[in-house]
Amino acid sequence: MIELTLIWIAFPFVVGFMIYLLPKLDRVLALLGALFSAVYAIQLFVSQTPLNLRLLDNFGVSLVLDPLAGYFIITNALVTIAVLLYCWGTNKSTFFYAQTLILHGSINAALVCSDFISLYVALEVLSIASFLLIAYPRSDRAIWVGLRYLFISNIAMLFYLVGAVLVYRTHHSFDFAGLRGAPPEALALIFLGLLIKGGIFASGLWLPMTHSESESPVSALMSGVVVKAAVLPLVRCALFLEEVDPIVRTFGVATALLGVSYAIFEKDTKRILAFSTVSQLGCILAAPEVGGFYALTHGLVKSSLFLIAGVLPSRNLKELQQQAMPRSIWIALAIASFSISGFPLLSGFGAKVLTMKNLLPWQVIAMNIATLGTAIAFAKFIFLPHDKMPNAEPLRKGFWAAISLLLGGLVVANVVYYEAYTLENIAKPLITIFLGWIAYLAIFKRLNVKLPRTLERFEHLVGMMSLTLMLLFWFWRAFA
Amino acid sequence: MLEAFVFATILIGFFGIILKKNLIMKIISMDVMSSGVIAYYVVVAARGGVFTPIVGGEPKGAFADPVPQAVILTAIVIGLSIQALMLVGVMKLSQNNPTLEVSEIEKSNTP
Repeated sequence: MIELTLIWIAFPFVVGFMIYLLPKLDRVLALLGALFSAVYAIQLFVSQTPLNLRLLDNFGVSLVLDPLAGYFIITNALVTIAVLLYCWGTNKSTFFYAQTLILHGSINAALVCSDFISLYVALEVLSIASFLLIAYPRSDRAIWVGLRYLFISNIAMLFYLVGAVLVYRTHHSFDFAGLRGAPPEALALIFLGLLIKGGIFASGLWLPMTHSESESPVSALMSGVVVKAAVLPLVRCALFLEEVDPIVRTFGVATALLGVSYAIFEKDTKRILAFSTVSQLGCILAAPEVGGFYALTHGLVKSSLFLIAGVLPSRNLKELQQQAMPRSIWIALAIASFSISGFPLLSGFGAKVLTMKNLLPWQVIAMNIATLGTAIAFAKFIFLPHDKMPNAEPLRKGFWAAISLLLGGLVVANVVYYEAYTLENIAKPLITIFLGWIAYLAIFKRLNVKLPRTLERFEHLVGMMSLTLMLLFWFWRAFA
Repeated sequence: MLEAFVFATILIGFFGIILKKNLIMKIISMDVMSSGVIAYYVVVAARGGVFTPIVGGEPKGAFADPVPQAVILTAIVIGLSIQALMLVGVMKLSQNNPTLEVSEIEKSNTP
C-alpha cells in the first residue's frame, strides 16, 4: 500500500517530464496519469481505513490518506481527464499537456501531505505550473494575468513560511498538529497564506480576473481543483483544532456572501462563474465536516460550466440575451446551472442538504441567503434564449466527451448521500430556486449596476493581505 | 535584537512591493522580503548554538538546529526559480510597456 501511494505521487511528475521525450504520445500519457489518480482515489474509498505515512524519520514528510482526501483526489482526476478530452482535438502543444500533468501531480501532493513544509513545496510547484498554463497563449494580457497570480501567491507563501517556522519553534516539528499550542502569530500567518492561495474572502480577490481571463480549459482546472489544494489544509486544521473551527466557519460564511453578491451584479459570463467559485469555496469552509463532498460536486459543475462558457458565442451576457445559442449547448448549460443551484436529481442537491445540516445555528440565515443568491446568479444562464439551429457548426467530439463525463459524474455522485431525498429536503431547494427566478426576472434582469473593480488592483490586493493578517490575529484573540 | 532586524527586513520588502511603482522594483522588493524570511529561518536555527552538527569528533559547543536550515534551502531554490520565471515574463511585457509601471500595464490589460 505504501509503495503504491509513493508511485502514485511520483507518477505524474515522472511522466510529466517524460512527455517531452515522447511528444507523439503527449495526450495519451497525460490521460494515463489522470486515470491512475482516479483508480487510486476509488481504492481509498473502498478501503475506508485512513493511512498515515511518515517518511524519512522524525522530521520527514508526513502524508494522510483518508476518504476526505479521496473526494478531492477524485475531483482532481475527473476534472483533469475532462480538460484533456476537451483539448484532444485542438492544436495544443506538448508543453501544455506536460504542464497539465505536472499541475495535476502537484495538486495531488498538496492534498495528501500533512506537514507545513511539504505543503509549501507542493503549493509553490502548483503556482509555477499554473502560471505557465495561464501564460500559455503568450499574449501580453495572459502574461500579465499570470505574473500577477504568481506574484500574489509568492508573497502569500512568504508569510506562510514565517508562520511555519514559528510552529517549528514551539514544537520542533512541522506537522499540522503542531498548530495546537503555537503562538497566535503562527496561526495568523499560515492561515493568511492558505486563505490567499485558496481565494477566500477579501484576500482572494485576485481570483476573478485570473480565472476569467485564462483560456477555458485552464479556467476549468483553476476553478475546479487548483484553489481547492489550499482549501483542504484549512478544512483539516478546522477538523482537528476546535479553536480554529469558528474562524474557518466565519471566513466561509463571509466568503459565500461576498462572492455571491458580486456574481449577481456581474454581466460577464466568465466573471460570474469566477465569483461563484469564490462563493462556493466559502460554502465548503462553512461546514468543514462535509466539505469533501461539496468540493467534489463543485469541482465537477464549475469545470463543466467554464468549458461550456468557452464555446458560447459571446462572453457578454447582454449579447447572449440577443443572440440565441444552439439548443444542445443550452441543455448542458441548464443541467450544470440546476446542479449548482441545488436542484434535486443532481448531486449539487445532496451536497447542499448535507452542508445545511452541518451548519451551526448562527450560520443558517447567511447560508440560505447565499443559496438564494446562487439561484439568482444562475438564473441568468437558464433564461438565455436558445434555438434548434440545425445548420450550426457541430462542436468537437472532445467537448461532448468532457461535458458528459462531468455531468455524468454529477448524477452518479448522488449515491454518496442518497438519504437526502426526503420530501422536506426536496421542497426547500425548489422554493429557493423559484424565489431566485422571480427575483431575477422581477428585479435583477433590469438592474444595471456596475460594481467597481478597485479592490482587484494589484496594490490593493497586496495591501489587503496586511488587513487580513490583522483580522486573523484579532479573530484568534477573540475566539481562543 | 537580531530578530527585530530580520522582521524589519521582511516589512521593508513588503512595503516596497506596495509603494514602488515599477514592476522590476516590486520584484526586487519581493526578493528583499524573501531574504528576510530566509534570515529568520537561520536565526531560529541558531538559537540553541552555532556549531555545525557533524557526526564524529569532539563537539566544540552547542549545535545549530539543522532542520530549519535544510528546509529553507528548498525555499531558496524555489524562490530563485520563481524570480527567474517572473523576470522572463517582465522581459516579454517590457516590449509593449517600456516604462514597466504597474498602473499602466494594469490599465492596458484589464478588460
